[in-house]
Amino acid sequence: MAIRDDEVVHIRPAPMSGLEAVYLPEIIKGFGTTLRHMFTSWGQGRTSRSLQYPEQRREHYKPEDGGLEPSNFRGFHRLNRDEAGRVKCVACMMCPTICPANCIHIEAAESPWDDREKYPAKFEIDELRCIFCGMCEEACPVDAIELTPEYDIVALSRQEMIFDKNKLLHMYDITIDKKPM
Amino acid sequence: MPDFIREHLTSQLFVSLHVMAIVIHIILGTVTLCIYAERKISAYIQDRIGPNRTGFDFGLPFLGFLKGFLGLGQALADGLKFFLKEDYRPTNVDKILFTLAPAIVIIPAFIGFMILPWGGVWDMPLMNLPLIGEIGGERVYVTGAYVNVGVIYLVAVASLGAYGITLGGWASNNKYSFLGGLRATAQMISYEIPLGLALLATLLVAGTFMPEGIVRWQVENGWLILAMPLAAVLFYVCTLAESNRAPFDNAEAEQELVGGYHTEYSSMRFALFFLAEYAHLVTGAAFFALFFLGGYHLPGPGIGHLTSPDTTTTLAVIAKFLVLFTKACLLVLLAMLIRWSLPRMRYDQIMQLGWQSMIPMGIVLLVVVSCMIYLDWISLPALLAANVAVFGVTIFIEPLLARLFGRATANRRIHLYGSRFMPVPGTPVITSPTNPMAVEDRPVQGTVSTS
Repeated sequence: MAIRDDEVVHIRPAPMSGLEAVYLPEIIKGFGTTLRHMFTSWGQGRTSRSLQYPEQRREHYKPEDGGLEPSNFRGFHRLNRDEAGRVKCVACMMCPTICPANCIHIEAAESPWDDREKYPAKFEIDELRCIFCGMCEEACPVDAIELTPEYDIVALSRQEMIFDKNKLLHMYDITIDKKPM
Repeated sequence: MPDFIREHLTSQLFVSLHVMAIVIHIILGTVTLCIYAERKISAYIQDRIGPNRTGFDFGLPFLGFLKGFLGLGQALADGLKFFLKEDYRPTNVDKILFTLAPAIVIIPAFIGFMILPWGGVWDMPLMNLPLIGEIGGERVYVTGAYVNVGVIYLVAVASLGAYGITLGGWASNNKYSFLGGLRATAQMISYEIPLGLALLATLLVAGTFMPEGIVRWQVENGWLILAMPLAAVLFYVCTLAESNRAPFDNAEAEQELVGGYHTEYSSMRFALFFLAEYAHLVTGAAFFALFFLGGYHLPGPGIGHLTSPDTTTTLAVIAKFLVLFTKACLLVLLAMLIRWSLPRMRYDQIMQLGWQSMIPMGIVLLVVVSCMIYLDWISLPALLAANVAVFGVTIFIEPLLARLFGRATANRRIHLYGSRFMPVPGTPVITSPTNPMAVEDRPVQGTVSTS
């Protein structure tokens, strides 16, 4: 969309006064700001914004206090199960089509069950390629793929970070309490 | 061999060698702690915490009691990391200069300390040492080198650091490094002049080139920062520029030049550049303390007598060293405060500040101070008034000159053929990339393993 002329805000800062043009008084004022922050946040003081990460986590806080909201956090993926415990995915290929990072790989096969035609024989997500945009979640017509609040999963090799179907279903098992379907 | 030593080893040489050996280790330790302090102070200024977990336990269970320690092990961890990194040298670099450059940067930073009067004069007691024999029993200067032209030596040595930076940038065979080196050179040349002018005006007042004499003048007449505040500000800004510190760290401007002159360096060679910056900083701070903050002297009821140049006991030497060292450390902290308060100046702003503000101010100050000395008006209030007057008049005249001659326009735009930002008028502007790889919509298929 083009920017209309009436939307453009021209900012013309006021010309510097004589005292400001010398810089030094303003610089000393700036030191005041810096020092105030330094001494108020000294040793995790009043203004310190840090979390002591491995012990304190964002999950421990409410979203309004800067915590993590599990319902819309975009972390690692999971594949949902239906009531019978089967994979919910119908292998419609919506998510690999929409995926901007091209990290989802599905091989469809004829479904062994009567309620759908196809199911994913192979479902792999390269989590290292993924940009966690959540478009797969939006594209999914049966709410089978979802993003979980898990964000600190690491591995010792790249191959381990390519999540296959079993791993994604396991992700469902461990995150269903945190984020109900 | 002992005969040879006894023949040539005077008490002064004995003390000088010891001062050099001790001071270089203290400075190295300070530089390491500076890095820790910089990280911690920057963290607090930005409302973070900074390194707080690295202790000295090296991950070993039986050293667990050394864990934590406020992150004091961070400097050691950084150093160990640098040692273990691959010492990488790109092909097509100038091998000799590439290897030499870090050394050329760090050596001037360390040899500058040698003329500092760390402990003033010392009545060395007569000592009987093994191998050397009897030594002492006379008056010695507690300094690395007692030279008459100490200040000139400093100015000569301090500017050598720019060679290392320039050579490092040149030898890297990389355009960003080269640009960083060029910037360092231009900046160093520009700020050497106001540094020299401010120093010259100060030395005219003190009337001596000897560091010891400058301290003596300040003890008798009051600190020079009170007499020459303008010169002090000019000198301090110039030392920041000389040591390539923010807000004058254009030579390594990450946003523009990748890493500047040390882009191609890794491992200990990079660490040497890193240490040199802090060593230059500590040198500059120590010299500022010497010239403007009374050197090793501290006024006060007991300590004023203890740290005066006329007291020559061993206790006085230690006290003087501690005073000078503390002053230097406080100035280093001020430099850190400046670094985390002020944004980096643009290159043309640095040149403008140097050539249009600081050099004229330095020249005017030098002329005024020379005239005052000719007329014998060298009392402290008179000098202070002169400094304030020079500053005020310069500030008053500057806008008038700008109105008269016009201001230099920053960001002059040049029409360039093929440019998308300032095309030559009338030429077509092509905004789509010409490389077919760049218009490829999706990455290469089949990156996910199908096995």
